[in-house]
Amino acid sequence: MVNDPLIERFVTDLRPVRRRSLWRDALTLTVLAGVEIGAVLGFGLMRPDMPHAMHMMSFWWKAIGLLLIVGLGGASALVSLDPTRSPRQGLRRLGVTAVVLFALGWLVDALQAGPEALWLRLDPAHGMVCAREIVELALPAVLALGVIVRRGAPVDVRGTAWVTGIAGAAFGALVFALACPFDDPLYLVVWYSLACALVACGTRLVLPWLIRW
Amino acid sequence: MEAAQAGDAQAYRLVLGEAQAWLRRFFLKRLPPSMVDDAVQDTLMAVHEKRHTFDPSQKFGPWIAAIARYKWIDRLRAARRTQTTLLDETVAVGDHEEQVTTAHALEKLLAQLKPGPAEAIRLVKLQGLSIEEAARRTGQSATLVKVNIHRGLNRMSTLVMGGNDGE
Repeated sequence: MVNDPLIERFVTDLRPVRRRSLWRDALTLTVLAGVEIGAVLGFGLMRPDMPHAMHMMSFWWKAIGLLLIVGLGGASALVSLDPTRSPRQGLRRLGVTAVVLFALGWLVDALQAGPEALWLRLDPAHGMVCAREIVELALPAVLALGVIVRRGAPVDVRGTAWVTGIAGAAFGALVFALACPFDDPLYLVVWYSLACALVACGTRLVLPWLIRW
Repeated sequence: MEAAQAGDAQAYRLVLGEAQAWLRRFFLKRLPPSMVDDAVQDTLMAVHEKRHTFDPSQKFGPWIAAIARYKWIDRLRAARRTQTTLLDETVAVGDHEEQVTTAHALEKLLAQLKPGPAEAIRLVKLQGLSIEEAARRTGQSATLVKVNIHRGLNRMSTLVMGGNDGE
């Protein structure tokens, strides 16, 4: 047997291991998410007009939509760390969710009064700042997920990288949404999507190199 | 595997032994014989490193099969990166012909190859058999004979270039 010495080495090297638990990973991420949200609120970065914003349909569209993407993306990423599970179904669900959210955004947009010039509504100067801050806020989430992913055994590393990037990006956007005073759905769809796409693509490019096993 | 996760060495030896036999059969159906040992070893290492990801409430078979399939695809990707085209049966060693002109030197070079490529080169390049005849004679598929010839010639080129031709 060619590999017998190898088996003996593994047997000698054997130590009890703590079994990976999806729920423990999810709890760890939830706690870390709570810490990041707490830090943002603790530093007084929450938008000053929050009580008013909470009466606006677009705020809830933004917050619930991002929360959905965070949940779906995070769950798909964690599930895919079992070698027998694929992240592809999660990716398809994320795609459908994003399309539905965009469609709802336009509906919300149509219901809100006051047509303005497209350029003014997009407000690129602020939009670029928003996008940059979303990317910065997403990094801790992507890093935390990345560490957990490295411990797992994903067999579709590209798919896992996509869902990890999308979940991290959506979480960054969700945290930023607590501070961002913009509620125009057009603005949100363009700049939030741009930031999320940047984070997701970056994660897709980098993470597979770090999680190959 | 559940016992192995808790540190039971005897159970671990047993599960790895059975896994090794299964993996050998798995890879023999999917890879050239020369790649099987490495693939089995690589997969066993992955099983060892990722044993904490096995969920005892699930079956062990699908878990190890998923890892084996991942490693198999990895091997295929690596092979595709290093080997772009298969050479046809009329391929020559080109610039190194002068260095391998004598039968003595050639035999020494062939002796340094793995049995599969050496036999394929002997039959097709030296004895003049067709790929199909060589495949029938060795029990390999025609594609595998071509792959073995390509690999063997590459290896011989490397040996000659490195001055390690047994001269």
